[in-house]
Amino acid sequence: MIKQYNIKSLAVRFAQIFTQPLIAILIGLTIGAAVILIAGENPLNTYIKMFEGAFFSPFYFMQTLTRAVPVTVCSIAIIMAWRAGYINLGVEGQMITGSFVGTIVSIYSPLPTALTVMIAVACGLAAGALLAVFAAFINDKFNVSIVISTLMMNYVASYITSYFITFPLRDTSNDLAIQTKEIPDVMRLPRLIEGNTLNFGFIITVVLVALFVFINYKSNFGYESKMTGLNPVFAQYGGVKRRKVMYMSMALSGALAATAGMLEVFGVKYRFAEAMFTSTGYAWTGLMSGLISSLHPVGAFVTSVFLSGLQVGGQSVQRTINIPLQVATLIQATITLFVSIRLLAHFRAHRKSKIPKGNIKGKGAGDA
Amino acid sequence: MDTNFIAAILNSAIRSTTPIMMAALGSAICNRVGVFNVALEGQMLIGAFSAIAINWFTGSIALSVIGGILIGGMIGLLVGYLQVRFKAADMVVGTSINLFVGALSAILLFILFGVRGSFKNPALLSLPAIQIPILKDLPFISVLLRNFTAMDYFAYLIAIGMYIYLFKTIWGYHTLSVGVKIEAAESMGLHAQRTQIMAVMVSGLLCGFGGVTLSMGQVTLFTENMTAGRGFIGMAACNLGRSNPLLIILASLFFGFCDASASIAQNTIPSQLTQSIPYISTIIALIFFSRERMKKIKNSKAA
Repeated sequence: MIKQYNIKSLAVRFAQIFTQPLIAILIGLTIGAAVILIAGENPLNTYIKMFEGAFFSPFYFMQTLTRAVPVTVCSIAIIMAWRAGYINLGVEGQMITGSFVGTIVSIYSPLPTALTVMIAVACGLAAGALLAVFAAFINDKFNVSIVISTLMMNYVASYITSYFITFPLRDTSNDLAIQTKEIPDVMRLPRLIEGNTLNFGFIITVVLVALFVFINYKSNFGYESKMTGLNPVFAQYGGVKRRKVMYMSMALSGALAATAGMLEVFGVKYRFAEAMFTSTGYAWTGLMSGLISSLHPVGAFVTSVFLSGLQVGGQSVQRTINIPLQVATLIQATITLFVSIRLLAHFRAHRKSKIPKGNIKGKGAGDA
Repeated sequence: MDTNFIAAILNSAIRSTTPIMMAALGSAICNRVGVFNVALEGQMLIGAFSAIAINWFTGSIALSVIGGILIGGMIGLLVGYLQVRFKAADMVVGTSINLFVGALSAILLFILFGVRGSFKNPALLSLPAIQIPILKDLPFISVLLRNFTAMDYFAYLIAIGMYIYLFKTIWGYHTLSVGVKIEAAESMGLHAQRTQIMAVMVSGLLCGFGGVTLSMGQVTLFTENMTAGRGFIGMAACNLGRSNPLLIILASLFFGFCDASASIAQNTIPSQLTQSIPYISTIIALIFFSRERMKKIKNSKAA
C-alpha cells in the first residue's frame, strides 16, 4: 500500500502517527514536573538525572534494555488479545503462574537437563495459557466479563504462589527472603555482555516481536483477529469463527505473558521470589506501552524501552534525590491517558461512531 | 456455635460490604446511562487517600468525609468528561486513571507524610460508632451492630434512594432513557451527554464515599493500593445485581461476607490462601449467577 503514497503524504502520515504520542509525552513530563516541584525538588535537574540514569550511560542503558524484555513481551501479550477485542488485564497473573510453574519444574525435575528445560518451558507456557483460556471459557459459556475475571486472577495467582514459596517450596537457606531455590546453572540464559544483566532474553524478545508482526499482519489468524476486534458482527458475517479467534488470541496472550515471566526468571533473577512481578509492575507498564503505541507491536517495543527507561531512571532518582519511584508510573499513566484522548483527531473531525464495548478507538496502525 | 460469634462475623461482613456496595452502585449508575466505567478502583483509592490526608491536616472528621467524597467525584468528572466528550476508549481511560491514582497516592504519601507503603498514626480520627439507644442493649443485635458508623447505615439509604430515583421518578426515567437509546433521549430534548457525565461524576462521589469508609471505617490508615481490586469486585456485584440498586445490596453483602471470611479464617489457614478467597469467590459467583446459567435453570424447570 505504501507504494501509492508520495513523499509528502508519507510525511503527513508519519506526523499523524507521532505527533499525538509526542504531545502526550510532553504533557506527561509536565505533570511529572509539577509533582516533583511539589516535592520540593528541581524538575529539570531531576529529569536530567533520570535520563542519565536510564539512557546516557552504557551500563544503565543495558539495565533499561534488560527491564524492557519482560515489559515488551507483556505488551505484545496484551496487544495479542486486545486487537481481537478481548481485554486481558490478567497478564500479571498469567506471568506469575507461568514463571512459577516453569521455575518449580526446572528446579525439581529429575530428568536430564535438556529434557527438563523443554518440559519446564512447555509447562510454564501451558500454565499461563490455561489461565487466560479459562477466562475466555467462562466468558464464552457464562458471559463472565474477561476484564473482571482476569483481574481477579491476578490476585489469586499472586496469593497462591506466595503461599507455595512461603511454606512448602521455600528456599530455607535464607531466612529473610521469601523465594524458591535457584535454578540450575546450565538452564540460565547466557549474558550478552560480561558484568551486565542484559542477556539472551533480549534477542528472544526481538524475535518474538518479529514473529508477532508476521502473525498479525501476514497470517490468516492475524487478519481474522483484527477483523473481530474492529467489528465482531461483521467478522462473523464474513465467515470468521469468533470463538476460535477468542480462544486462540487469549491462549497466545497467556503464553506470551508466561514467556515474559520466564525470561525474567531464566535470564535475570534465576529464582521465583515474593512479589517479583507485582512490585515491579512489568505487566502494567507493558499495558501502557501497548496503548500508547496504538497496539502496534514495533511501536510497543520502542515505547517499552522508553517506559522501562523511565522506571530505571526513576529508581536512580529515588536513590539520589529522594523522589518516589512512582513518579515514573505517574508520567506513564498520564501519557497513556492523553494518547487515549486523541486530541488531534478530536479537533480534526467529530467522528460520531459507535464502537463495540471495550474496543480501543482508531486501533491498529493502519488507520492512523 | 456461639451466637455472639455469628453476630461478630455478620458484623464484620456488613462493615466490609459498604465500600463494595458503593462501587457497585457507582458502576450501576454508569451502566444505566450506557457508560462503561473501569476507573471505579481509582476513584475509590483517591477517596481513601484524601480522607486520611485531610484527616491529618485538619483533624476534622466531617471535612475528611466531605473531602474524600468530593475528590472522588472530581476524578469521576474527569473520567466522564474524557469518555463522553472526548470519546476516549473506556478501557484505556479506566486503566490509566487507576494506575495514575495508584502512583499519585504513593507519591503524595511520601511528600506529605514522608513514608512509603502505608501511613498510620494514633492521632488520626476514626469515624465515630453510632449507638442506637434500645438496640444496643439487646444481646445478639448489640454485637451485630457494634461499631457501625453512620456511613454504614447511610449506604443502604443511598441504595434505596437510587432505586427510587431511577425507577419511581420522572428524572430517573429520563436518565434511564439515555442508556436505552441516546439518540431518542436527545430528540426528547434531554442533554444526553451532560446526563452521562453527571452519572459518571456521581459514581465518583459514591466511590469516594466507599474509599472514606475503607480508610476511616474498620481501620484508620492508608496503604498503597489499599482498595485491592474492590472497585472491580464492585463491578462484579453490579453485574450480579443486574444494575438494580436493591439487588446490588444483596450481591454486595455476599462479597462483603467473602471479604470478612478471609480475615476470620486467617487464624486457622495461612493468610496467603485466605486472602485469595474474595477474588476466587467473585469469579465463582459470576459463573454461578450468570444470566446464561439462570436461563438454563429456568428452562429445565419449565420443561
